[in-house]
Amino acid sequence: MFRSLRSDGAPKVTLTINGQEVTAAAGQSVWSAMALTGQSVTRRAALSGENRSAYCAMGVCFECMVIIDGLPNQQACLHRVAEGMTVTTQNITQDCEAENAGP
Amino acid sequence: MQALDCAIIGAGPAGMTAAIELSKGGAKVAVLDRGTRAGGQIYRAAAASPLPNTSALGPDYQAGAELIAAFERTDLTHFASSDAWHLGDDGRVLFSHLGETHELHCREMLLCPGAMERPMPIPGWTLPGVMTAGAAQVMLKSDATVAEGAVFAGSGPLLYLIVAQYLRLGVPVTALVDTTPRQNYLNAAPLLPRALRQAGQLKKGIALLREIRSAGIPQYRFAENLEVLGQNKAKGLRFTSGGQIREIAAETIFLHHGVQPNLNMTRAMDLAHRWNPQQLCWQVETDAFGQTSIQHISAAGDGAGIIGADGARIAGRLAALNILHRLGRLSEADRNRQATPGIAKLAAMAPFRAFIDRLYHPANALRLPQNPDTLVCRCEEQTLADLREGFNQGARDPNALKSLTRCGMGPCQGRQCGHMVTGLLSQWRAEPTEAVGYYRLRSPQRLLTLDELSRFQAVPAPTHAEAAE
Ligand SMILES: Cc1cc2nc3c(=O)[nH]c(=O)nc-3n(C[C@H](O)[C@@H](O)[C@H](O)COP(=O)(O)OP(=O)(O)OC[C@H]3O[C@@H](n4cnc5c(N)ncnc54)[C@H](O)[C@@H]3O)c2cc1C
Ligand code: FES
Repeated sequence: MFRSLRSDGAPKVTLTINGQEVTAAAGQSVWSAMALTGQSVTRRAALSGENRSAYCAMGVCFECMVIIDGLPNQQACLHRVAEGMTVTTQNITQDCEAENAGP
Repeated sequence: MQALDCAIIGAGPAGMTAAIELSKGGAKVAVLDRGTRAGGQIYRAAAASPLPNTSALGPDYQAGAELIAAFERTDLTHFASSDAWHLGDDGRVLFSHLGETHELHCREMLLCPGAMERPMPIPGWTLPGVMTAGAAQVMLKSDATVAEGAVFAGSGPLLYLIVAQYLRLGVPVTALVDTTPRQNYLNAAPLLPRALRQAGQLKKGIALLREIRSAGIPQYRFAENLEVLGQNKAKGLRFTSGGQIREIAAETIFLHHGVQPNLNMTRAMDLAHRWNPQQLCWQVETDAFGQTSIQHISAAGDGAGIIGADGARIAGRLAALNILHRLGRLSEADRNRQATPGIAKLAAMAPFRAFIDRLYHPANALRLPQNPDTLVCRCEEQTLADLREGFNQGARDPNALKSLTRCGMGPCQGRQCGHMVTGLLSQWRAEPTEAVGYYRLRSPQRLLTLDELSRFQAVPAPTHAEAAE
């Protein structure tokens, strides 16, 4: 279970993570906002569809790629939350790539 | 137009110290870092912590605030939130800042990209809930976010440091599973007498271990055969210790067994590298001043070979002195005179580093995957068995294996699998690592969208007259 040690009173922003509206401390990473709301699956592996989540939290593993405001492949650990931001688990599997590529 | 004298990539202890010295010497400097604030790994958010109180992080961390303050007072350009993805030997730097591409030109380049953690490919290491101990540090320092009831597994000072930090903050820790092999203690013993000359460092380390022991959390030593349990997410850790198979339930498992230089920048520039057999990693070749195989490109800090934060500060300053000399702002004699104490200090630190390297030498069984089903390439989902198959089909070197299997072709650009692939091929070929080599890397060093490339801005700050061709 992830928990924040931040003292209350820090300015907050509201964002949407997989359809759920959440408040998060301004300046915090998108990844920790996800972790603190219990939404820790960042992407699904392209071939197997397996759940993946942040591994390094410092930008070198690319496991935390999510869709932020419609843009795919965004590293949740490097992005900061912003008011009105929309974050979704990245679900680009080979199957749906094939579908997208269809007529 | 006037030229930018030096671009520094990385605002950790190495980059910050170098920037201060260069600016003091009259050079025009720009520092790029993908972080929102300067600090690097060790001093991440040290000047603006989200924690109510940073004393639990220890005096080393708090000392970082002073360096950051000095850096921020210095006359230089700091490009924060700026990710460098192309560095040319023509002095051209391309970087992303807030979704836009920027370009700058410089005469000298100093690479201070720091280290990353050595991957630990145990079965189940890709399950959600498995992270590195460094990730625990990053979340704590920049976001005041902690995981309760986690198991920490592995070996080395950074692992013990984060466990101690958690305990000081009252965050419950389920267990510390120490994988340092028994043999390492014997191997390191002969190096202890010389390491004792740095008694302060040794005392610090021992105090940390004692602090963890007295906290009374379950500790297991000489652990082997680690395996993360769980189907869709981590449920616990299985391992053997003391001749018994043990299973500990936990939602979060933090792994760590040392750090290695961030290679992609120095590799993509085609600089000469060598294998470091003590630290089991590649590192860029430099002289005592950090100068690489391309004269106007230098490297300093953990990104050029693991020396720790204090060493990184010294190496940053030495590189800066040499660059000032190369820019004609410092005579060779003055460079040498000013460098003498730093060079001596680095030499004095070496025996302790050698002792630590040997004591925490990563076990091969944790550094290289053992189970045929374990993923080596997390991005392209290539297992140990897949790679072996590729090898059997004739792929003898990392690049051939990459084209055959796609291992290393994903978004992380081999950052996770690179060292494993070198290690596996060296084993299979029964040849030394140097003979095997590493992936050939190219710019861009990160995923870029076309949209971002289309928004292109040359940094208006001093451009390099000569580089304009
Ligand atoms: C996750 C982690 C946590 C650590 N925590 C500690 C600790 O608590 N105590 C300790 O003693 N040691 C710690 N270390 C070891 C660390 O390597 C220190 O020795 C020290 O921070 C090294 O200093 P440096 O200046 O060489 O690099 P760093 O401090 O790592 O600084 C490098 C900087 O370069 C930036 N960078 C890298 N690539 C790019 C790029 N392409 N574009 C822009 N910027 C880039 C990074 O954002 C980073 O800020 C840690 C290492 C890691 C990996
Ligand atoms: S968690 Fe590794 S890149 Fe974000």
